[in-house]
Amino acid sequence: MQTGEKNRMKKKILIVDDAEMNRALLSDMLSDEFEILEAENGMEASAILQTQEQEISLMLLDIVMPVMDGFETLAVMNKNGWIKSVPVIMISAETVPSYVDRAYDLGVLDYISRPFDERTVRRRVLSTIMLAAKQKELAHMVMDQLLEKEKDNKMMIEILSNLVEFRNGESGLHVLHIRTLTELLLKSLLHKTDQYNISRKDIPMICNAAALHDIGKIVVPSEILNKPGRLTNEEFAIMRTHAAEGAKILRNSTMWENEPLIETGYQICRWHHERYDGRGYPDGLKGEQIPIAAQVVALADVYDALTSKRVYKDAYSHEKTIEMIKNGECGAFNPILLECLDDISDTLKNEFHTMEENSFSPQKEILESVEQMVVAQDGLNMSERTLHLLEHERTKYQFFAELSQEIQFEYTETPELLILSEWGARYLGLPEAVPNPRESAFGNGVFSPEDFEELLAALTATTPKTPVVDKNYILHIKGHERWSRVIARSMWDGEEDPAYVGAIGKIVDVHDNMERLSRLEVMAAHDSLTGLLNHAEARKRIVALLSAGDPEKRYIMMLFDLDHFKQANDNYGHLFGDEVIKHVAKTIKDSTRSDDITARTGGDEFMIFMAYKTTMEPQVKRIYSQLTGQYKDFSICISMGISCAKDCGGDYDTLYHMADEALYSVKKNGRGTYRFYDESLKDILTDE
Amino acid sequence: MTVRECYETMGADYDGVLSRLRTDERVKKFLLKVLNDKSYELLCTSLKERNMDEAFRAAHTLKGVCQNLSLDRLYVSSNEMAERLRGGQAYGEDIEPMLEKVEEDYMLTISCIQQLAQEI
Repeated sequence: MQTGEKNRMKKKILIVDDAEMNRALLSDMLSDEFEILEAENGMEASAILQTQEQEISLMLLDIVMPVMDGFETLAVMNKNGWIKSVPVIMISAETVPSYVDRAYDLGVLDYISRPFDERTVRRRVLSTIMLAAKQKELAHMVMDQLLEKEKDNKMMIEILSNLVEFRNGESGLHVLHIRTLTELLLKSLLHKTDQYNISRKDIPMICNAAALHDIGKIVVPSEILNKPGRLTNEEFAIMRTHAAEGAKILRNSTMWENEPLIETGYQICRWHHERYDGRGYPDGLKGEQIPIAAQVVALADVYDALTSKRVYKDAYSHEKTIEMIKNGECGAFNPILLECLDDISDTLKNEFHTMEENSFSPQKEILESVEQMVVAQDGLNMSERTLHLLEHERTKYQFFAELSQEIQFEYTETPELLILSEWGARYLGLPEAVPNPRESAFGNGVFSPEDFEELLAALTATTPKTPVVDKNYILHIKGHERWSRVIARSMWDGEEDPAYVGAIGKIVDVHDNMERLSRLEVMAAHDSLTGLLNHAEARKRIVALLSAGDPEKRYIMMLFDLDHFKQANDNYGHLFGDEVIKHVAKTIKDSTRSDDITARTGGDEFMIFMAYKTTMEPQVKRIYSQLTGQYKDFSICISMGISCAKDCGGDYDTLYHMADEALYSVKKNGRGTYRFYDESLKDILTDE
Repeated sequence: MTVRECYETMGADYDGVLSRLRTDERVKKFLLKVLNDKSYELLCTSLKERNMDEAFRAAHTLKGVCQNLSLDRLYVSSNEMAERLRGGQAYGEDIEPMLEKVEEDYMLTISCIQQLAQEI
């Protein structure tokens, strides 16, 4: 156990050598500090790398091996990119220079020649691992800093542009829309042509600049800015100054004038009201004289203005907007941009407005910024490789999730967030990312709040060793109540002192199964003719009540059968006999309470088990007289034996036996009455 | 017989191996493993079957083992054999005396190690 625990924290070294002796020797030298994996040849090593690439800190590789030799192994590692994450030290007995050179060319970091010297082996192994770890760490640090910086930039720009928005009496949504639209249009444009001097890595910068497009409105008096009616010509002239003014503001940032963001921002501010036909303002530029960034933002601005509600107008539909733009009712645009608009039309129609409602989609955000960073920094191969892996995993996950027709989810505690699989979100009619799930339509809607709390509590109560929760709940899915099985696994952070961070899991519809099961349960527990319980089920329930119910055991059992029932069958036939039985069963149901236990225990034998408070005789008398009566031509008369649970110490079999003995004595003494068990009846049955 | 005596009898370098593997105990542990190493047998059968690639790998492994344990005498003859067989060279009459030399050294080495093993 302890060694197992310790092994978990040790770094892993993979030794690849066909000679068992060599592996054993190296393992002996290293196993106190490392966990050793062994492979006899390159093929076995590849199999290990395939699944554990990320966990292996170092590989010691021999050259001369059967099946797949060292060079072939290195070639495979290069092809799969493993060589970038797993440092390799050669351990061959070969010292021919051409071999050594070739090994270095294939990405080997160091060479340990034979014979193995323990100190050399350990030192080389340690320093290579440290070097690789340092490199990884540095790459991550650079990545983190870039991310941080990018976040700050984006934040500052957003604050700045929201300033104008709020003054304009609008929420910050317009800036967000412009950003998204600009990005979509640019991506589509790049797809179509490289005639404009922009590349993929410029897109984030242009989107940032686009957010600043209306910054010049800061100089427009708010009476004009927020005037609900039509602007007069003079007012409109003032309004129009915002383009040139915004550009001026940016031009004044003399310290940064050569920055791409400022330059592009200038273009966008100044010329986002120009028209492709030359009839725009402030400069009346025409066609390609207008910088492409400004053209794109102009189109984005118009699309968003039309599809959003403003003080002076309602929102137009997506279709109507596209139609108006194409008909030239709202400006004149570059034909290629209109094509781009067509291309992204479906995305806009289906996702644009949900995109902004659920703009809280951290995974996508982070992944995309990282992607952009990596594209921007050609040197970070390691991250690029990791991204490929991530992308690969994501595709795999999505594909299987789609196939399985299950709702899959990921839940994190801080920040409290639930992420549904694409299929799951569609099926539930919810967004993929659900912030604060307890208050959402998921935790208070699909789940009842009590059930959801219970599930979360169950997950919190798990341990890293027993992380799985498996429970059935009734979920409300699109207006239907469905029995669903929730299987989830808690997730833990850190190995030393694991902390609960959330869970992953899936929800499977088991409604039909549950229904079938509960039908079977009902069938197994009930008498098919009368719908009363059968003897076995009645016994089960009574035993449960006797052990866990009223501690004073104030229960009675009535056991009875119909006198001369055989005659009913003989004289009127079995069908009539069944009718009598059904009639009696109905009378029993009518004259007892729902929590009394009523059963048909044999052909014409019945049982009633009930609780009482102080007296019991009146109830017995009432039930007895209600049961006695006439059904068609057959007069119903019964013999009944009664026993009290407190007399038998709560033992079912004794209780039943006592009632049975009382019943027997009634029958022996001429039928047609009831009788409580007493000591005089003891062993009346067995004595016979 | 001590491990050092065993090394001296089979023409091997005890001081060399001890300086690299650090403890007498470890030297002994791996020396005894030579008894289970099948590369010598593999070399013989591969040569008989004229499977030259396999023969090279076997000689190479044997040489590597000797190197790690400073079995100098057997290392010299097995290394010579490995070099002769490198690159899938064809079988030739010169191989026979080489194999005889390897056999002689191997038998000496093995008998010394067996003797050591019996005394434990």
